Amino acid sequence: MTASQFVQFTLVVTGAPYTSQAPQTALHFARAAIAAGHTIDRVFLYGDGVQLATNLACAPSDEPNWHRSWSEFLSAANIPAVACIASALRRGVINDEERARYERDANNLASPFQLLGLGEWVESVASTSKVIYFHAGG
Amino acid sequence: MSVLIIIDQAPYGNWSGREALDMALSLAAFDQPVSLLFVGAGINWLRKQQNPAPIQQKGVNRNLAGATVFGIEELLADQDALQRYGLGAEDLLDGVAITHYDQDLLANYLHVVCQ
Amino acid sequence: MMTLHILNKSPEHPRFRLCLEAVGDADQLLLIENAVLALSVEGIKLPGRIMALASDLDARGVSVDGSVDAIHYDGMVALAAAADRVISW
Repeated sequence: MTASQFVQFTLVVTGAPYTSQAPQTALHFARAAIAAGHTIDRVFLYGDGVQLATNLACAPSDEPNWHRSWSEFLSAANIPAVACIASALRRGVINDEERARYERDANNLASPFQLLGLGEWVESVASTSKVIYFHAGG
Repeated sequence: MSVLIIIDQAPYGNWSGREALDMALSLAAFDQPVSLLFVGAGINWLRKQQNPAPIQQKGVNRNLAGATVFGIEELLADQDALQRYGLGAEDLLDGVAITHYDQDLLANYLHVVCQ
Repeated sequence: MMTLHILNKSPEHPRFRLCLEAVGDADQLLLIENAVLALSVEGIKLPGRIMALASDLDARGVSVDGSVDAIHYDGMVALAAAADRVISW
């Protein structure tokens, strides 16, 4: 494979973990993309997908922990990870800044996710990145 | 890079369509060309007479009526979906263009999102 | 323009028909997650050369004949990388 065949992907996950298979399929895809030499410039969580960014979910010990798997993968591969702030606030996923702004008792945004706007997604759409969506099935 | 956002889910019963509309509005805010296509149950977004006050939701028709003002290029309604729900052009919000959902329509867009 | 259509809805889902109507002659269709169940339903006419994710077939106990390419995630990545456009349904 020549260098020109390598692609820059943006992955958009809109399905929630333990509700849909979307985060699992997306993680398998992401690992395979990196293994093949492609790059991922951004992972963007939108809609129900932001539930992947909470650090308060407790999977039963005999089930795979998709929150942890994703966080570990993103940190190890050094991939910028964004949860849409509007989707996240509605669903109770907040960082320390928003905790202070909305005067809540706790924050729960998992590392390495950041809360940012849809402009991050627009930037990927407007760039040469290939944007791949992982929606909830049905 | 023209974007088509497809809405195939009815309003109010879930948030999918609202969040798809937010995507379209964001693209428009950054001057990216974007159109919205309503197919299947999604066609019900375009009805003129919507009063969601009793269910305490914001009317989506008002958001859509302003869509072109905010820079969304086109609001497209699929002919078959209109027929299925017994809707005619006169039942729809102003500024909606009636089209036919098929491969040729999608070929006009380099980026298609079906949330 | 070659489009890769990634379909993850079961045949009963309205999105399934929407996807099939969008698949052109030069396009590729990849069935993942619940969409692989379509391969066990008689009478569903799928366009062109069909691909399906092997792990999703295995998970659901769906077996396929030689007319379907069972691929893995690396194959899915290669298809997405090579396509001019990717639509997830």
